[in-house]
Amino acid sequence: MPPVPKKVLIADDTAFFRAVIKEILEKGGFEVVGEAVNGAEAVDKARSLLPDIVILDVVMPEKNGLDAAREIMRLKLPVKILMCTSLKDDPLVDQAMDLGACGYITKPLDEDKVLSYLNGLVT
Amino acid sequence: MDTSKYKALYLQETHDHLSGIEKGLLLLDKEPGNSVAVDSLFRHYHSIKGMSASMGYEPLARLAHAQEDLLDRARSKKTVPAPETVSTLLECLDALRALVKKVEGDEPLNTDISPFLDKITRARDAGATGVAAGPATAHAPEAAAVLKISDIMKVEGRVFDDLLATVGDLFMSLSAFKSLTHGVRSIEFKDNVHALGRSINSIYNNILSARMLPVEDLTEGLPRVVRDISRKSGKEVDLKIEGAEIRLDRSILEGLGSPMVHIIRNAVDHGIESRDERLSAGKPASGTISVRAYAEKDRAVIEVSDDGHGIDPDKLKAKAVAKGFPQARLASMTGKEALMLVCVPGLSTSDNVTETSGRGVGMDVVKEAIEGLGGSLEIESVHGEGTKIIMKLPRTSSIVKSLLVADGAEQFLLPMSRIIRAMEVNASSVAGGTLDMDGVGIPVIGLGSALGIRKRHENRLSTVILVDGSGAGGTGVVGVVVDSFLDEIDAYVKPLTPPISRIWGVSGITIMGDGRPVFLLDLTQIISRALAKA
Repeated sequence: MPPVPKKVLIADDTAFFRAVIKEILEKGGFEVVGEAVNGAEAVDKARSLLPDIVILDVVMPEKNGLDAAREIMRLKLPVKILMCTSLKDDPLVDQAMDLGACGYITKPLDEDKVLSYLNGLVT
Repeated sequence: MDTSKYKALYLQETHDHLSGIEKGLLLLDKEPGNSVAVDSLFRHYHSIKGMSASMGYEPLARLAHAQEDLLDRARSKKTVPAPETVSTLLECLDALRALVKKVEGDEPLNTDISPFLDKITRARDAGATGVAAGPATAHAPEAAAVLKISDIMKVEGRVFDDLLATVGDLFMSLSAFKSLTHGVRSIEFKDNVHALGRSINSIYNNILSARMLPVEDLTEGLPRVVRDISRKSGKEVDLKIEGAEIRLDRSILEGLGSPMVHIIRNAVDHGIESRDERLSAGKPASGTISVRAYAEKDRAVIEVSDDGHGIDPDKLKAKAVAKGFPQARLASMTGKEALMLVCVPGLSTSDNVTETSGRGVGMDVVKEAIEGLGGSLEIESVHGEGTKIIMKLPRTSSIVKSLLVADGAEQFLLPMSRIIRAMEVNASSVAGGTLDMDGVGIPVIGLGSALGIRKRHENRLSTVILVDGSGAGGTGVVGVVVDSFLDEIDAYVKPLTPPISRIWGVSGITIMGDGRPVFLLDLTQIISRALAKA
């Protein structure tokens, strides 16, 4: 039986990174079920689209990635949260990890690293 | 991963972020405590940094990172970036823009960014002793972006240039067909040529409206220009913009860019007085420059006015005399004509020339540029109260309704917009250089002699084209004598490129259906020289 594609929600305020992440994920056999352009939309879509994984960029307007992670966590959904940052030591990522985020990926995104990380999350 | 396919997306988003940065910095300049502006600036730099690093545009990423870092510190320390910091960031914005331009042109990013990085470091360290930030004075939450495909397509302007050129060719072919219909009996053929004409006209109108851009595209850069110039001259200047939604052809807007900067520069440097002068004249401490755009029939009018000290006509005339301008002509000038002296090269009423401009320096260039776009320039000024520069421009360009005329062996195009009517008269009645029209003597010039073309023979009848001679030193109607007029055509006029752009009396060129090049004449130039000689 072929593996069921895992559903991912991408939240990033730049169309550029949404497109890059989507390409990487689809190459790796993941299904991108939705995209959010800010933290508030990420929370709404996490609730309505029920993804397996949410990738949250840290710096976003409306609600940043950390606040969005906190709210999604509060919803008690069966979803894994992966932070995405472009800072080497991002204090917000540390805080998100403390809250229960599964991990983080860093920009510029390395295709192999991102996929091995995600595969590790779903197996 | 091959990121090259994301370049277009990268450029599009980066441009948006860069204009966001400019808006944010200007807002911060006005309201130093605006923490909402600081937050959004931080995010803009952050996005540019992340995207640039992913694309491998190292200098861009580093420069954006340094600025992001500066703002991040300001954010976390709750300090307000000093005004000098805003200036530094604006300079760096230009550097970012220059780099992005290089990306666009696939040029190597070999700019040395270290001077900018040093400046940012200095600003950052200075900022450590900055002022405490107050609450944001303006709460302008960013409009929630919604993920949807826009109805608006981004198309390179060049595509429309090509389309327009093609329609120009179609018009020329149409003219050739139309002249064929004169000798053909077939009604069907004639009807079809007319139907073709209607279709071409409809395509043409659609392309024209697609090429129209709002004046806003021109004015959105002005706050920055005003800020930079007023800072240098130490004056306080407010900018008001009205009617920015009026739409004009892209090429005309483009051509207005540098004249606008010249005019604004003049207004700040020489129009608006210093704070002390203003206060003692009973004016508000900061000066105001207003840019107002509105439509007037098929023309767009753009007015730039300042509430400075205006132009002193007597001083201007005195300067003109000193420069060897004939006194007799000055004496007969109306106030409005005298003001136009600022457009004469070398006539400046300003006693001190600043770093950025000298009133008069550049106004001749401005006038030339506006006329090159098919427009006109007028100046109104009340000494002590301010100056208004009025530019009237065609809203669309490129296809000019023209009258094809022949003189000697040559053919020329005259713009229909200037033609009042054409008539045939006895050659003897215009021999004296004037034509009697209902008891009024109208100045008449021979096109051939004005252009220096030898006549093959004198006709018994002369064709006189009555044209609007205002703006060319003429008082009103002027008669232009030609051998004959041939046809009214929609000519796709191409601007002249060097070296033929220097040809006197000519404003463009068109290629006729049969491949012949024909010049569109600059009536203003021709009439003013011919009348000056007469």
